[in-house]
This record gives sequence, structure tokens and C-alpha cells, in this order.
Amino acid sequence: MGRLKPLMVRQPRIFWRKNYIFALAFALLLALPFIFTAHFQHHVMIKVLMFTFLGCAWNIIGGYTGQVALGHAAFFGIGAYTSSLCYIWFGLNPWFGMFLGGILAVAVSAVINYPCFRLHGRYFAIATLALGMIIRLLFTNWRLVGGALGVRLPLLPESLWNFQFHTTKLPYYYIALVLCALIFAILYKIERSKLGFYLRAIKESEEAARSLGIDVAKYKLVAMSISVFFTAMAGTLYAQYILYIDPISLMPLMTSILICVVPVLGGAGTLWGPALGAPILLIAIEYSRAWLGGGGRGIDYMIVGAIMVAIIFRPGGLTSFFQGPRFRQWWRRIRG
Amino acid sequence: MKNKILLLCMAFILVAAFALPGCVPEVAPPEEEEEEEEVVEPVKIGAIYPLTGPLAAIGTEIKQVVELAADIVNNSYDIDLPFARGEGLPGLGGAPIEVVFADSKGSPETGLAEAERLIEMEGVVALIGCYQSSVTETASFAAERLAIPYLNPESTYPGLTDRGFKWFFRNTPHDYTFSETFFKFLEDLKEKEGLDHSEIENVAILYEDTLWGVGTSDAEKDLIAKKYPAGAEYNIVADIAYAHEAASVTSEVMKLKAANPDIVLMASYLSDALLFQKEFKALDFNPKAILAMDAGHIHPDFVSTLGADANYIFTREVWSLDLSVVNPLIGIVNDIYYERHGKNMDGTTARSFTGLMVLADVLNRAGSTEPEAIREALVETDIPPEDLIVPWKGVKFDETGQNMYGEGVISQIIDESWHTVYPSEFALRDWVYPQPTWAER
Repeated sequence: MGRLKPLMVRQPRIFWRKNYIFALAFALLLALPFIFTAHFQHHVMIKVLMFTFLGCAWNIIGGYTGQVALGHAAFFGIGAYTSSLCYIWFGLNPWFGMFLGGILAVAVSAVINYPCFRLHGRYFAIATLALGMIIRLLFTNWRLVGGALGVRLPLLPESLWNFQFHTTKLPYYYIALVLCALIFAILYKIERSKLGFYLRAIKESEEAARSLGIDVAKYKLVAMSISVFFTAMAGTLYAQYILYIDPISLMPLMTSILICVVPVLGGAGTLWGPALGAPILLIAIEYSRAWLGGGGRGIDYMIVGAIMVAIIFRPGGLTSFFQGPRFRQWWRRIRG
Repeated sequence: MKNKILLLCMAFILVAAFALPGCVPEVAPPEEEEEEEEVVEPVKIGAIYPLTGPLAAIGTEIKQVVELAADIVNNSYDIDLPFARGEGLPGLGGAPIEVVFADSKGSPETGLAEAERLIEMEGVVALIGCYQSSVTETASFAAERLAIPYLNPESTYPGLTDRGFKWFFRNTPHDYTFSETFFKFLEDLKEKEGLDHSEIENVAILYEDTLWGVGTSDAEKDLIAKKYPAGAEYNIVADIAYAHEAASVTSEVMKLKAANPDIVLMASYLSDALLFQKEFKALDFNPKAILAMDAGHIHPDFVSTLGADANYIFTREVWSLDLSVVNPLIGIVNDIYYERHGKNMDGTTARSFTGLMVLADVLNRAGSTEPEAIREALVETDIPPEDLIVPWKGVKFDETGQNMYGEGVISQIIDESWHTVYPSEFALRDWVYPQPTWAER
């Protein structure tokens, strides 16, 4: 996906008229919770959207810029803790807490990730992995923020303003959908902006990018900041959804890895990658557990593992299926 | 071509996953002679435990013991437990219990999702679980939202019953009750030994500094401030927190020696408990008694490492195999478990077993699988101690849903093994008080 595709740069209005399929898909997403109505199905859908969102956020640093960060769960946790504690301590509305959490995550990431940017490839991956775990340990032993016992959000009457809904999960679904639409719009813009080109240049070759006058360190930091800002926002959504957070379940290694695997499965550095990876992975995780988890033999983990291994056979991810000439021909035909 | 097949497969998995939510492999209920009479629908109970992940070992043990309890209810056993002799629940026309297990993976979020799935898609009429307090917190929230009774057999975080929930009931005593047991025991000790108030007055509190240790010490200080029970007076002469990874505890023991307490209340994990006991001996620290909060002090390695030096420690316990002398049921049930799985039950699994037995009793009295009927039966629960395999005074829930009759027991290490010494109805041996000084041993 390193190559640029001038074909894709179009006028937005024409884009929508021509792409009625996207409009249809969006309508389907709006109607989906009314087709599958059980709480558990809603839960799976919310998780799919949340991980699509997280995958998109990771894509900015991991996909477009090619810096494999494996500690994003820590920023997810920072977002969740900031909004929850700001509400409990200062009565700050979680919607504002969401942005505050994003800003705090950016600040933390700037301080700790900047030195890591001197590292390349697998060394950067290991450093971020370690930082993610350190932050988790810090929260586990920090009594002021609840320590290992976590934080329980007080139950409030349900409303959009309070960001709490008890009788139905539908609002969480639509909030997640709006967030996903938002991040897709932003990524669509970034892909076509100067920033997007810079980031992809850094991914292809840092030296070459530097020789062209791109401030590599600065743009890596910019990409990381955008990425962790959105990751922290998803943390707030999670906290308001579960209403109970603790470092052990909020920031495990598994979350960091899932955030990375979702876009890689779908196609790292592509706009639609996370949207393809998240449903397959999350539905497989949730339903394999539901079907087989009660046996207690971990067969569900094996299935998920097998899906992850399958990525090896398709390094470009699932979106690479849609990039062959035959697919383009077919696509052109159905669009008339 | 290959691509197309792969894509088709992916699409199929996606569709199948969403379209077949109800198609859970139906576990055939244990073969029962149902066909001769009219077919009785089994009563489904959902059980959420950490079956994979770091807590998988304990989760699997709980699963085995819950299955054993269901087996005892469903089939005929010659045991003096309720429903053991008959098959199924007589109040529901002989319906057997079917336990549907779900894996929480030790995560509160998964616990919440699984609770919703069990209720809506499996049609369970009640839930039990989830071992960890954090998972119980969210799973019971789902049950509250969907108005399904939830019985928690083993989570001890006190706050769980402070939430004003209508559908949440807890069998096990919580951490605060366990601390209360200490002070009740001390009163009993004074009375039986004919001690004056001033002879057990100065208390030292010694605890590891993470949440568990801090939490229990908070409860102890709170109880001392409240003069629990009935105006008992204690002075805290030392309040010492330490890091449980510490390599040396000499300075802590020096502080203790200087404070010269009558008794020491300890909350320690294994390695630190060992370190302290060795240091007590090295520095010849001789309080009249040491009262410990299980954990390190009930671990088999505590005695195997220290040998005779481990003797005379009092420790809190939830359950103990030696109680089978007082309550033969404990031995009988443990024997069946041992025969099937090759190990003994412990304090956790004994409580999980009790959880399902209580639920069986509740369903039987409810005579219906309607949530409201089951809830009413839960509220009216009053199970006598002789029907239980745990050393409680019975099972009866207060208005918060907490079992009022749950209690801990106190064991003392005598001759290098644990012996229950309190409450007196379970005591098999007399305690040794005061503990002999190191010179006398």
C-alpha cells in the first residue's frame, strides 16, 4: 500500500453518488441492532466497532507510518482512568473527560515515546511493549487511583449527557458508530494530505524521507499523538460501557496485541483494513468463547490463534483481496 | 480462484457466527430415566468462572465441584445432604439441574458479556459465580439489569453487597466478617482462659502494603476504633506496613520488639510470612499470640519449610478438612471429589459447592422457574448448619443479600499441622495460649 493511487482522489460529492454501495452499507450498520436484538449480540457489535476504531487509531502510527507500537493498551487505560476519575473527583462530565483523557495520553506518549523513536523496527516494538506493561503495573500499585481493586463508576440516570445507559445498549452502539465514522473521515483526509504522504514516505524508508527534507522525528510524533488521542477516547467509551475499570482487565497485553492484529489482519496502512479485520477477529473471539469456552479447554483461543496465523499467508491483509485487477473489473461492472 | 474461495469461506464464517447464535452444542443431560414418565425439562443454571487464563486452575476446580454438586442433586446418593437421595428437585416435579458453564477469562468485561449471553440465549433461570470480586461486580450488574437472580458463593470484597441490588445474594462471609472473627475469637479466648482485659490489650498490626494487606488492616483498625465486640478495648502499639518482596525484615521486627505487643495481627503472603517467622526466632520476639489472615500462613509450604518453628500461629480459615470429625458430610463429599479428581477440596471449592446446593434448595422451594418466584425463595432462605459442608451457622440473607450466618474459623498450627480451635462447636483441640517463648520450645 506504499504506492499512491491517484485514481482514488475524487470530488466528495461525486464519490457519494457513485458509491451508493457505501451508503447502503452504512444504512445496514444503522439497522443492524434491530435485526439482531439480544444484549449479547449488541455487545459483540459494540466490541467490533470499538476495535475498528482502535484499529484505525493504531493504523496511523503502525500502518501508515510503519512503526509497530505494541503498548496501546496503556493509552486505552489512561483514557478510561482519566474520564472516570475526573468524574468521581471533580464531577467532570465524561464527554469532556474523553477529550481530557486524549490530551493526557498525548502528553504521556510524547514524554515516553519520543526517546523510543530513536529505535527502529523490532526494537521500537519491544520498547513500546515494555512501556505498556510498566504503565499497567504502575496503575496496579497506585493506591490513589484504586490500585488493583479498580474504579467503580457511580450509577447515574441514563442519558446521553451522563454517558450511561442501563436498559439498552443501543446508544453505546451508535456512539461507537459515530466515532468510527469520525475516524474514517479523518483517516480519509490524512491519506490524501501532505501528512499522509510524509508518513508513508517514513514507512518506506526513513533515510530517504529525511534526505527529502521531512522532519522524521516530528512526523512520527505527530502520528503517534493522533493515534494515542483516539485510543484514549475509546478508553472512555469502554469505561462508560462497562462502568467498572481495573488495570488487570483494562490494560492486558492481549488488548495491545488485538489493537495491532485487527488492522494487520485487515490490511495495515489501509483505510478499510480495520473495518475488515475487526468483525472477523472479534466475532471469532466472542462466539468461539460462547460456543466452546464453557468446556474450559481453551479451544476458543486456538481458533483465534489460527486466524492470526492465517495472516502469514496474506501479508497484505484482507484488503489485498480487493486490489487485484480482476476485483477492480468486477467493481467497475457493479457500479455501472 | 484461490482468493475467491478464501473470501467465500470468510464470508461464510461471518454469516454463520451471527445467524446461528442459538446453536450452542447442546450438552446432553446425564442419562436419566425420563422416558418412562413424562419428560421433565431440566432447570438451567448459569455458572461463570475463569476457565482459561492465569486463574484457570482454580476455575477448573470450581467447575468440577459444581458439577459434583449438580450430580448429587440429579442422581441418587446415600448422603445426608438435601436432594441427594432422590433424583432431581421434587418441588419442580423431579426436574434435574443443568449447569451451563461460561468462561470469564478472569476479565470483568467478558464476565458481563457471558452473563448476558447465558440469560438471554441459554435461558438460564439463575446465575452463580464468578470467584473474582471484580468479575462478580460486572456479571451481577448484567443480572440486575435483566432481572435474574444471582448467587455469589466465593467473592469476598465487602462492597459487593453495598450496591443496593435487588437480585444479588452472597453466600460467603466477606473480608470484614473475617476480621470480626478475629476479635470474637479474642473475646472467647479471654473468657475461657479467665484473662483480665489488660492482659490482651496491646495490639500490633503487621501487613503487606498492597491492596489485600492494606484492606484487611483497615478493617481491623476500624473494628478496634468501634470497640468491637461489645466495648472491647485495644491499644494499637505498632502499625507496620512492609513490602512483601522485602529481603530482610529485621527493622520491622526490631520495631515490634520495642512496642512489646500482647498480640500481633498479621496479613502476609508466603515468602514474607516465612521471613518474619525466622526473624521472630532469631531476635527472640515473644508475643502472647500471633493471629494471621490465611494466605501465607495456611500454605502447606509454611509448615514444610519451618517445621516445628511454624507452631502456635493462629490463622483464619474458611474451611478445613479436619472439620469432618464434627461434620461427617465434609469427609463424605471430599471423598467423592477425591475419588474423581485425585485431590482434596479447599476453602474455595467448599464454598462453590455450597453455592449450588443453596441454589438447588431455593429452586425447589420456589416451585417455579420464574425469576420473581426464585428471588422470593432466596429472600426466604433459611438453611440449617447440618445441611452444609462449611462451618457456618446456616444460610439466611439479610436485606442487602448478604448471608448473615457465614463465619470464618480459626485454626492453630500445633504439631506441624492446622487444627481448628474456634468456634468451639468445631474445635477439635484446645488452643495453646500463650505461645511458648522461643527459649521454652
